[in-house]
Amino acid sequence: MLRLTLAQMRRSLGRLVAAGIAIAIGTAFVTATLLAGNVLTRTGYDAVTLQFGQADLVALGGVDDTTLAQARAVDGVDTAEPLLTGGIYLTAGNRSSYEVVVGASADERLRSVGVSHGRVPAASNEIALAPATAERLDVAVGDTVSASYSASVADPDGPDPQWEEKKDELRVVGLVDDPDGAWRQYGGVGLAPPEDVLRWNDPGPADPIASTLLVTTTGDPAQAQQALAKALPGADVLTKDEAAARTISEFSQAGNVLVTVVLGFAAVALLVAALVIANTFQVLVAQRTRTLALLRCVGALRGQVRRSVVVEAAILGLGSSLVGLLTGSALAQVALAVLNRSDIQAPLPSTVTLTWAAVLVPLVVGTLVTVLASLVPARAATRVSPVEALRPADVQEVSTRAGRLRLAFSLLLAVGGGLALVGAALGAATGAVGPMFWLAVGLLAGTTSFVGVLIGAVLWVPAVVRVAGRSLERLGSTARLAAANTVRNPRRTAATSTALLIGVTLVAMMSTGAATARTSLSRELADRFAVDVEVSSYGEPVDAAALDASLAAVADVDGVREVQPLRTVTLMAGERQLDVVSVPDARALVRDARTVEGLADGTIVLPASASSLADADGLTTAGGEPVRVTLVESNLGGSAALADSGTFDAIAAGTTPTGLWVRLDDDADAAAVTRDIQDHLPSETPLGVQSGAAERQGYEQVIDVMLAVVVGLLAVAVVIALVGVTNTLSLSVIERRRESATLRAIGLTRGQLRASLAVEGALITGVGAVLGVLLGLGYGWAGAATVFGNAGHLHLNVPWRDLAIVLGVALFAGLAASVLPARSATRTPPVAALAVD
Amino acid sequence: MQTTDRPAVSARALTKVYGHGAAEVRALDGVDVDFAAGAFTAIMGPSGSGKSTLLHLLAGLDQATSGSVHLGETNLTTLDDDAMTRLRRDRLGFVFQSFNLLPMFTAEQNVLLPLDLAGAKADRAWFDTLVQTLGLGERLTHRPSELSGGQQQRVAIARALIAKPEVVFADEPTGNLDSRSGAEVLSFLRRSVRELGRTVVMVTHDPTAAAYADRVVLIADGRIAGDIQDPTPESVLAGLEALRTLEGPAGSALVGA
Repeated sequence: MLRLTLAQMRRSLGRLVAAGIAIAIGTAFVTATLLAGNVLTRTGYDAVTLQFGQADLVALGGVDDTTLAQARAVDGVDTAEPLLTGGIYLTAGNRSSYEVVVGASADERLRSVGVSHGRVPAASNEIALAPATAERLDVAVGDTVSASYSASVADPDGPDPQWEEKKDELRVVGLVDDPDGAWRQYGGVGLAPPEDVLRWNDPGPADPIASTLLVTTTGDPAQAQQALAKALPGADVLTKDEAAARTISEFSQAGNVLVTVVLGFAAVALLVAALVIANTFQVLVAQRTRTLALLRCVGALRGQVRRSVVVEAAILGLGSSLVGLLTGSALAQVALAVLNRSDIQAPLPSTVTLTWAAVLVPLVVGTLVTVLASLVPARAATRVSPVEALRPADVQEVSTRAGRLRLAFSLLLAVGGGLALVGAALGAATGAVGPMFWLAVGLLAGTTSFVGVLIGAVLWVPAVVRVAGRSLERLGSTARLAAANTVRNPRRTAATSTALLIGVTLVAMMSTGAATARTSLSRELADRFAVDVEVSSYGEPVDAAALDASLAAVADVDGVREVQPLRTVTLMAGERQLDVVSVPDARALVRDARTVEGLADGTIVLPASASSLADADGLTTAGGEPVRVTLVESNLGGSAALADSGTFDAIAAGTTPTGLWVRLDDDADAAAVTRDIQDHLPSETPLGVQSGAAERQGYEQVIDVMLAVVVGLLAVAVVIALVGVTNTLSLSVIERRRESATLRAIGLTRGQLRASLAVEGALITGVGAVLGVLLGLGYGWAGAATVFGNAGHLHLNVPWRDLAIVLGVALFAGLAASVLPARSATRTPPVAALAVD
Repeated sequence: MQTTDRPAVSARALTKVYGHGAAEVRALDGVDVDFAAGAFTAIMGPSGSGKSTLLHLLAGLDQATSGSVHLGETNLTTLDDDAMTRLRRDRLGFVFQSFNLLPMFTAEQNVLLPLDLAGAKADRAWFDTLVQTLGLGERLTHRPSELSGGQQQRVAIARALIAKPEVVFADEPTGNLDSRSGAEVLSFLRRSVRELGRTVVMVTHDPTAAAYADRVVLIADGRIAGDIQDPTPESVLAGLEALRTLEGPAGSALVGA
């Protein structure tokens, strides 16, 4: 039986190739993901190792002055220094930056970084900056920066210390050089004397000063390790490698999560591949009916026949998985080589590490998926009756109709899941329980309903295809032929369309979710900010001349359309405070003119967030004097109410401006202009910049990147599905050889045959894509409603451009998928297929 | 029986060779033959004689190695694939042994298929005539799987005739039919010649079928071996016997009714 199986495989090699490609792509995906995970772990490990400098031993555990002294006293210990890290807030002029600093050990071996310009800080109040920080603060070696931090002060009244804000003036003596990227995760670190780092990151009198002790040894390191372990009973004394492994195991949790998420996408790709395999084997079994019948006639048992199909699937799965493994490894290696060649400062390994997991998992998974996918066709093979060997050729098999049970089950899952999904969205809108709960419920409901849809696909996809085909019939006989051919085998068409449906639904869902997220976030941010950019002194008084200078400076910035001085006063409405601001011409500043419609003499426009104050009894100044104005509700963003100049003068005449409101050009790059504004503000003013526009831009960038990554991962599944379309078409062409020959004989030109196959391909992919888009929209809206419903800023978007791209790609791919099958179809001369079997 | 001077289809020095060198097979070897218009001609011979090959070449379904085929004035051997296809569509009709209907179309759609492919409108009067002559009135909306073998072949004949072709080529049209349906099909073919003025060229191995024709062309070993006018089953059988004695001990078996 095995010899026969192999012989049959050899004959059908061409037909198995497409299926093999599908599995190979899936396993290549898995391999590349696992290898990337390995690289991440390895890189993290290498980075941590670098952070330990050239220490021989590392003690993990609390380090304070006593333990430090004890460690230094141990026999065999040369030097021992705590690994001090901390963060401080540096300012230079009106620029500021947060920087992580590392204590510069006295022992050069224990230092993980060096200095490229200048020297290592030796005395207190000296600092070497990371190059990126120096650039951001626009300082060079020799300049001064201020460091802000909190220091603990013993509280005379109680045990807990009090914290007070302090500021140090530091001299920049050098720029840090980190050639191997040991501290790349922080974007570079600064170097400062250990006593400064301790002062800035005062842990409080009771806590240890560091959690890691770096030790260099003389003589036998093993002996020193033992002695040190005895001296420091509360710490783990490890070699450098062991310590790195221990530290990285905590970080690798996050890395593992990432790898798991990406493997989820690989699972989707493999699911689609499984559909393609199942399809292929179904067709193969159908085509081999005569051989199978002959075998059963001559004496093969049902079990042998089934096993033969499964063995064939196993061989195919193993072979393709091997190809996928090699391809995935090669891809990962190439990517690594490219990254190493580029400017990335990270300790990337030069080769991928092939762990046992990275080799075995793809092989096993790929083979398993192929075998599982072949089980149903294998069972179908056993149902071939021996009698069919004796029938004349070309008994057309009537396609079987799927049962009522399947319909009922599929409806139950689909409708039930759909209702639960709507319920989750509504529940999330009420705000009860918490968004994560509703999201989990929504995810479960959505998956259930999608599974129901897929199960029922074989029932309704052919119907949709038939309707779509009918609409094409007007285009001529070729289209009619294509439409008729597409619905001939409903199961096969459904399977192929469904494979594409999965990928497209997910892509559409992600796009819709992202679009809705973008709009909702932008709405929410619009509510928090009244104008594009707000420059404020946060309550501190501002010198009039300084404000004028700031106004002039900001007006000069590229991308600023309008800037006006802002006056502010705080009023009381009963117990509540209400800030009231005024600018000379609010209409020129706000984006939405409707928000300031109510602005008039004697009127104060309330922001949306304070609309409850509209019914307040009476406004008074901070001093208690009553304020007589009309309060008007509006959609104004932010938390301050708006008054025009006249009204403001009546309330608080003589108040000088303490800030600026800025409106940007419509096409301005919000983040860049905000930075420019910040840089242009004169350094002596206590003015800070807040920008809703820049925040929105930041969020949108994050959303766009995430969407691109997700779509990229899903693209693999889509590609596999398209391979499946080619597969289906070529198998159909083989099945229809006799009919194609007949058509050619009675007058179908080669061009018409090619066109008919192209239409068929486009029909299959088009239907799958359109249905996928509709489903994806629905799921995307439900998901967005679940996540954002509570925020009250839900706006259901249709990402027209993205969806159009998806549809276009699918249609084009359907046409492209027909090219190879059409070539083989047209190459067959009519005569070859007319012969009686 | 109407005859015109010009043959409907003719072959000159027609040769078809498969393979090369020692494995060379000369399926047809310099065949010269004319087929009269408005006549029912049968091509007969033992299996392996080249009769199917001859039919395929005459019908433009295959390319000859050398020689020429003329359909009326047109030299088939000079045509490219598209031109050949259009010629088959517009000027020829085919009836095959295995019916070769498209399973997803109804009988009516199958009949109209050649016109559909040409984008031409059907001549309804002609369609009705065919349907009536072939007795298909009740079956037009049925799919091939719902028709008997004889009915399917009649649909195929209607399909072959719908475009009013110059020649109808039939390759063993009764091979898959029982004797009663077979007789029906053959009499339809004869009626289409006698009453509808068509030209039919039929390949068969069955002497009884051949007897329906006006003329039988005998072929053996890739060459024309004989000609019988106004055949009867007996004269055809005799002709085939004569062929057998020419072949020798390794000759293929004689197929009889």
